[in-house]
Amino acid sequence: MDYTVVTNNWPLFAKGIWMTIQVSLAAIVLGFCIAFCIALIRTSRFRVLRIAASVYVEVLRNIPFVILLFIFFYGLPFAGIRLPGQVAGTIALSMFASAYYGEIIRGAMAAVPRGQVEAARAMGFTFSQTLRDVIIPQMWKFALPPMAGTTTMTVKESSILSTITVAELTYQGLIVQGMTFAPFEVFFAVAGLYWIYTAFLSHLFKRAEKHLGSSELAAVYRSPIARKYLTLDAGRRA
Amino acid sequence: MEFSFEFMFSTIPALLSAAGVTIRVAAIAICLSITVGTLLTVIRALKIRPVNMAIELYISFIRGTPLLVQIFLAFYALPAIGIKLGPVTAGVLAITANNAAFMTEIFRGALASIPPGQIEASASLGLKSRAIWLKVILPQLYMRSLPAIINECTIVVKGTALLAVITVVEVFRTAQQIGSSSFRPFETFVAAGLVFLAMSLVISQFGLWLERRFALRRGV
Repeated sequence: MDYTVVTNNWPLFAKGIWMTIQVSLAAIVLGFCIAFCIALIRTSRFRVLRIAASVYVEVLRNIPFVILLFIFFYGLPFAGIRLPGQVAGTIALSMFASAYYGEIIRGAMAAVPRGQVEAARAMGFTFSQTLRDVIIPQMWKFALPPMAGTTTMTVKESSILSTITVAELTYQGLIVQGMTFAPFEVFFAVAGLYWIYTAFLSHLFKRAEKHLGSSELAAVYRSPIARKYLTLDAGRRA
Repeated sequence: MEFSFEFMFSTIPALLSAAGVTIRVAAIAICLSITVGTLLTVIRALKIRPVNMAIELYISFIRGTPLLVQIFLAFYALPAIGIKLGPVTAGVLAITANNAAFMTEIFRGALASIPPGQIEASASLGLKSRAIWLKVILPQLYMRSLPAIINECTIVVKGTALLAVITVVEVFRTAQQIGSSSFRPFETFVAAGLVFLAMSLVISQFGLWLERRFALRRGV
């Protein structure tokens, strides 16, 4: 083992992880926004839209991400759309993430009790008001736990952007490997950095879940009616 | 350039014949990883502290790092410590190591759903621990985790596409070759996507069929 390979080239690793963070965070945020639209379209009144949205989700979930990426980066230029690697990579990664987030959000929205939605509509809430004040605040409880897995998956899939020369962590690892011929040290360092990043993200999700659970419980404690009718540990998950 | 459906369909026979390699690699990796996953589950049940901590560490490492990096570790890093493997072997090794960790996690969940009363009953009937595993726990474990195992199978098939970066000539690498020699990468990659889509659908339909069969056998 020769640690100097890693310590001497740390600027490249630092640049790499920074690019990985940028690209993956952009894809997570963008992917979540697309997924939200997809989830809404899947509850639409129009059959054609519903079918289109589920085809989008099924196709993206069933083809390897690398193929989607290559269609964007090598395929689209032949159709006259030329995108730089980082842009093509971020868009492809967002679409990929959106297919998984979309299913999660749809499930979480469906898990909000139907009666509450009907009650809101009966009280004269518009669709967007129901969404904003009734569905969205309550869906996080169901959406957050599975979202943690999808988020770390998105980070891990971002390593594939190295195949279209986006200078993220894996790409920099390959560069350092080519200069130093020390693949063992280099790829363990790369793996270690990914490990730290994904562990940090999972930790954030755990914190958010805990916070959500306790704030839900606090809301029940604050409300005299709720205190009377609900068992107080209902908001706590096993 | 216009998107040519004609060209897209013309690449499909070549891609389908390359799918043989994909399916072979995936099948070996799946069988191996179910075996390793089962072994790790049994070993974990022995509750030997340092061993369990090592297994935890292994699972956490696999789940926290990208498959692509694991493939590079198997293909580039193992030779540096004296283990030289061909691209296909290294690929199978990496995918197996990756998938076995996920299988172990699936089995952990399924194990928790088996009623402890059954195990107590079989122990009090005098069954040896080998028999309890083979006749009582494992058959139920596999049936209960079937949907998750099938899901892992589609993930493995998709994962094999990454072996193209270490020169395994499977569907995706074949598509790259056709795409660059014909200057029609768009059509070729879409065709490769369709081939993968078909494989995934076949696997998930097969999984549903298996589930129905098992449900019949259990009389559910």
